[in-house]
Amino acid sequence: MSAVAHEAAVSAETYAMDGTFWTATIIFILAYAVIVSEKVHKTVVAVVGASLMIVLKILQQHEAFHVEELGVDWNVIFLLISMMIIINLMRPTGFFEYIAIKSAKVGRGEPLRIMLIFALVTAVLSALLDNVTTVLLLAPVTLLIADALEVDAIPFLIVEALASNIGGTATLIGDPPNIMIASKAKLNFMDFVYHLGPIVVVMMVVFLAIVKVVFRNKLKTREELKERILQMDELEAIKDPVLLKKSLAVLGIVLLGFVFHGVFHYEPATVALFGAGLLLLLSNTHDPHHYLADVEWPTIFFFMGLFIIVGGVVKVGLIKMMSLKVLALTQGNMFATSMILMWFSAFASAIVDNIPYVATMNPLVIDMAQQLWPHESGLGLLHHPELMPVWWSLALGACLGGNGSPIGASANVIVVGMAERAGQKISFLKFVAYGMPIMILTVFISMIYVWLRYYYFV
Amino acid sequence: MKAKDIMEPLKAYLAPDDTLKSAVNKMKVCGRGEGLVGVKGMVVLDADGSLMGVVSIKDILGAVIPSYLKVTKLGGFTWDGMLEEMARKVADKKVSEFMTPNVISVPERAPLMECADLLIKHNLQRLPVLSEQKKVVGMIYIRDLYYAIVKVLFEGEEICPL
Repeated sequence: MSAVAHEAAVSAETYAMDGTFWTATIIFILAYAVIVSEKVHKTVVAVVGASLMIVLKILQQHEAFHVEELGVDWNVIFLLISMMIIINLMRPTGFFEYIAIKSAKVGRGEPLRIMLIFALVTAVLSALLDNVTTVLLLAPVTLLIADALEVDAIPFLIVEALASNIGGTATLIGDPPNIMIASKAKLNFMDFVYHLGPIVVVMMVVFLAIVKVVFRNKLKTREELKERILQMDELEAIKDPVLLKKSLAVLGIVLLGFVFHGVFHYEPATVALFGAGLLLLLSNTHDPHHYLADVEWPTIFFFMGLFIIVGGVVKVGLIKMMSLKVLALTQGNMFATSMILMWFSAFASAIVDNIPYVATMNPLVIDMAQQLWPHESGLGLLHHPELMPVWWSLALGACLGGNGSPIGASANVIVVGMAERAGQKISFLKFVAYGMPIMILTVFISMIYVWLRYYYFV
Repeated sequence: MKAKDIMEPLKAYLAPDDTLKSAVNKMKVCGRGEGLVGVKGMVVLDADGSLMGVVSIKDILGAVIPSYLKVTKLGGFTWDGMLEEMARKVADKKVSEFMTPNVISVPERAPLMECADLLIKHNLQRLPVLSEQKKVVGMIYIRDLYYAIVKVLFEGEEICPL
């Protein structure tokens, strides 16, 4: 262990409310307040806050860049970048448009059927890719279909955003909170499928049933308009069949890699990076600039900045202080901890971006575990049987909480923005009117699930 | 020669609150030159006469094309009659919503070479000409510069038929 890492480990054991403590705390609180206020772009806030943590000597640069517990989590960063590169290469092939048009045709031009099929397709794609990409690619087709059928596009768009957040909850790569939790808690892809997959399926069934009942008599179109959908030829959407085949093959390899990464002891980022490299190679591109430039760098830098800001408050002991407070509140009752964490996470994620929220909660949960089981370490600590339901509660709360408001999840922001550009404004309250009941219902289902699976039938 | 020597003096303009339909009407009835065949672009001025933007027929087409088509390659999935439907839908759209803002303009004293350079460099059809008080006093069309060149090439020559 290097001297620096050793020092970091020691400083995590104790905390003193000295000048450094308060400086770091103020940077942290100010950064989060400005992010919530949206006065300055969140990425700018994260980069400025992170640099201040280093400039003001709260963290050494080495800690921010190279110490896993205090700085950038490169596992998360490379997983995100690699998946974005794969999507950037896939996008121009027309695959997503093909899926969407095909879905509308399977729906036979019937608005309610199309809405249900789109919700299902969005949920599945969101589980396998990321939510933002999924809605970014499906929303334009949705607007086109709604125009063709002369129906209101807004309910379709909101239902898709909600479905993407529910679907994304099911897998490690489906939603940013899961990516972050997986990396910190050393959980693998199949852990998520095994623990969150079943309940997400239940939630989707309930969600689709509700959509069906709510919109049963509201979506009407005329026979001749359905013809417009039926005469569309989805094959026309495929712009580059050769690259499409290569992309699907690589995506298949990557998904297979995710399924088995735990068995072969590879990190998910390794699997995704291999896929990105392979697809870049197969695409025969001589100018990768375009595919690399289209990586969502603001999101990547937002993550990196947050990791460093949170690292700063971990080092000075603010997180430890908070975890002691939580423990004092729950008296070490893990069932209560799970339930409080799940509901708190849901409402917090509806109000704040769930990425900074989870970045803060991850070290807090780990610290709490260290207090509870001081003799455990490594996987014994992270995967302590009593801690596992806490991780799942955090993941369920943070992912599903995204549905509570239009700013709760990136997918919602995309959908609202796209609708506005199309001249169909979705007001804050309109989104909340759809999203909040679904959020409360799905978190309630999660609560029953966690209670039954991890506490009642143990 | 300078910009003001070849410009067409400002005769008509649009207001930011005009609807798309009334803008199209103004462009249709306002002729330039002898032919009175309508113009393909017009400046948008605010109440003080300051330049806010330009509306060209490209902007009108842009307003009619739905935003989701612009960001995708879904053009192959449109239907017969869609353009007409969308045109009716946007008839009441405000000029300020679809005009091209941040227009490139020239002062009255700008040399013709500067005007030609700007038109070609920025792929423009017309340049508003501004007075010293920054008010629009006229327009230079790409055609006006072409005629200026034609004039030079045939100076003192009879233009002979083929």
